[in-house]
Amino acid sequence: MSGPEQQKSRLAYLFTMPAFFLMGLMIVYPFVYNVVISFSNMNLSHFRDWHLVGGRNYLQVFTDAYFWYYLRKTILWTAINVFFHVSIGVSLALILNKDIKGKTIFRTLLILPWAVPQYITALTWRGMFNAEYGSVNLLLGKLFGVSVPWLTSEWGAFTACLITNIWLGFPFMMIIALGGLQSIPAELYEAAEIDGSSWYHKLRHITLPLLKPVMVPAITLGVIWTFNNFNVVWLVSNGGEPSDRTHILVSWIYKSAFTYFRIGHAAAFSMIIFALLLLFSWNFIRRTKASETVY
Amino acid sequence: MRRTTLSLLIFAACLCSCSGKGGHRILVWHSMRAVEADLLRKELAEFAQRHPGWEFEELYYQNETARTNYIISALGGSGPELFWGANDNIGPFVEMGVIQPLDGLVSQAFLDSFLTAPFAANTRLDGRLWQIADRVGNHLCLVYNKKLIAAPPQTMSELIRIGQKLTVDKNGDGKPEQYALVWNYTEPFFAVPFIGGYGGWIIDEERRTPTLNTDAVVKACQLIYDLGHRYHIIPQECDYEIANALFKDGYAAMIINGSWSWGTYLENGIDMGIARIPMIDETGLWPAPMVSPLGYSLNVNTTGAERDMALQLLHHLTSTAVQLKFTRLSVSLPSRRDGFASPEVADNPLVSASMAQMRVGRLMSPITEMRWIWDAMRPSYQAIFTGRTKPQAAARDMQTLAEKLIRENRE
Repeated sequence: MSGPEQQKSRLAYLFTMPAFFLMGLMIVYPFVYNVVISFSNMNLSHFRDWHLVGGRNYLQVFTDAYFWYYLRKTILWTAINVFFHVSIGVSLALILNKDIKGKTIFRTLLILPWAVPQYITALTWRGMFNAEYGSVNLLLGKLFGVSVPWLTSEWGAFTACLITNIWLGFPFMMIIALGGLQSIPAELYEAAEIDGSSWYHKLRHITLPLLKPVMVPAITLGVIWTFNNFNVVWLVSNGGEPSDRTHILVSWIYKSAFTYFRIGHAAAFSMIIFALLLLFSWNFIRRTKASETVY
Repeated sequence: MRRTTLSLLIFAACLCSCSGKGGHRILVWHSMRAVEADLLRKELAEFAQRHPGWEFEELYYQNETARTNYIISALGGSGPELFWGANDNIGPFVEMGVIQPLDGLVSQAFLDSFLTAPFAANTRLDGRLWQIADRVGNHLCLVYNKKLIAAPPQTMSELIRIGQKLTVDKNGDGKPEQYALVWNYTEPFFAVPFIGGYGGWIIDEERRTPTLNTDAVVKACQLIYDLGHRYHIIPQECDYEIANALFKDGYAAMIINGSWSWGTYLENGIDMGIARIPMIDETGLWPAPMVSPLGYSLNVNTTGAERDMALQLLHHLTSTAVQLKFTRLSVSLPSRRDGFASPEVADNPLVSASMAQMRVGRLMSPITEMRWIWDAMRPSYQAIFTGRTKPQAAARDMQTLAEKLIRENRE
């Protein structure tokens, strides 16, 4: 490397130094600290005088029936949410990609759930799910004569959280899919039409394969975000009610850490979640070859 | 080279601007309702006029959030100078070392001016003083809307009898438009008076052990369940917000709620009365709500001039004059002897009724074990109302979980 180039690199390193410093401070240090306390007995009684206790917390997590219950529920939560986010999002994007009247208005309206702060949406839905006074049951009562105990039954509360999060999550997938659709060359469709392809064939052989490079990273992100979506579960179920049955792993970790103050236990729990998500993302991206296609 | 130097200078300037420190400021975190927070703000503004060069600010957090955020920020070396709340925070705060003892920071004459009976206003733990109260009580009472019910029921059987008349399905759709009684009955704190009414309690304070697997707990849970599912005088689903909204809008004749909420009802123009929660017929005992002082604690990180000023502010906010302003606003009970005995308190029917309920209550213990007992009660207690368990099994499970949490945390 010549002198001016070397100097240029030095300058570049210098400029990235604050970013590296902040990354170290905000990500690396807390991560390492979390690893350390996951092997400790840090809790309300031993907050300052904690000591290392080996793998006890990890053993406790794996032998805790709650962990397996919440893990199953989290997987279900993630799968259902992402399925609906993607299917609703892509379907709406396909509609909006056509020349329809009032496209801009529809697009704006459909982005609204995403634009409203999550906690406002979650608390509004919570009110709407009240068994006696909520609009959901009032509507169900008028239409079908039924009343669902949404927030006081285990699966009712879970379904309420799901509905809220599906409502919140589909605009993101819609926007991503719309961007992807607009980048597909029109010539491909024209050629397919000349060949006499049906709508379904064009969707299957042109639209979906060309959407894949855009959607795979979005789905990976969607899985991670949904898996770790604390706000909706916490706010709609009022902290896991009824009886702590409406938790996903992250909301339970929050409760362990900041309600029960079992910090060591919660840290071990979070490391396990980290490992699960790392494995999933790495495997998913490798299998779908998403990064190869994109770059 | 010149570019490198320039970049370094810009970076250094950024760092300097980030680390700039403001003037003297005293921050108070609290959980007061909006109507009381307004008064607190006025008091801080008035105090600030007498102390130029200082800023006094308040910040509201909901109870649980206030506690968690305070612990996190104080452990991180910051946080507000004064923390206002109920005395059940004291155990965890002391255990985590986030507040400092007030012994020696305030005079004995000042401390002597606070109530010691029927309950000690200021909170001590392990022989040291941690909180100075600006009020006592924080207890649950029966609040009734005089437009819907002229006189409150005295016994539980009377409540059920009157309640069935006051629960009205006006349009005949099977869903009452008006309920006799509402409250946040899925929260264990609100079940405690009933446990007391059956002669039980949730903790053995001397041994620091839970006392949840008892007949009193079973009967109290059964009674609350029956009020909804057998007598149908309370809604099937009712959290704090729903209960409050129903009462404020005139769709509920009575509510069980704490002194923190009364100011809001008065502000809403509700012609309200306060009474004891009706006596349990079977035992002849009045339900015994938890009573706790509410007051100010000093952040462990507050030192020097900030500490001196925070203490001055604490003296001001706990003065009889300020306490009586809060009494007039929200029926709170003063923590200082002269305030408690003042005509303004004695002659106020709402305050007297609140005091009558307080006299049959029991002091909330500030020890940390209380924290784990609350946490252990919630899941099983709520399961009763979802039909997943019966009161007997719930009481047993609460006890087991409470013992487990205490054991695990003390290991």
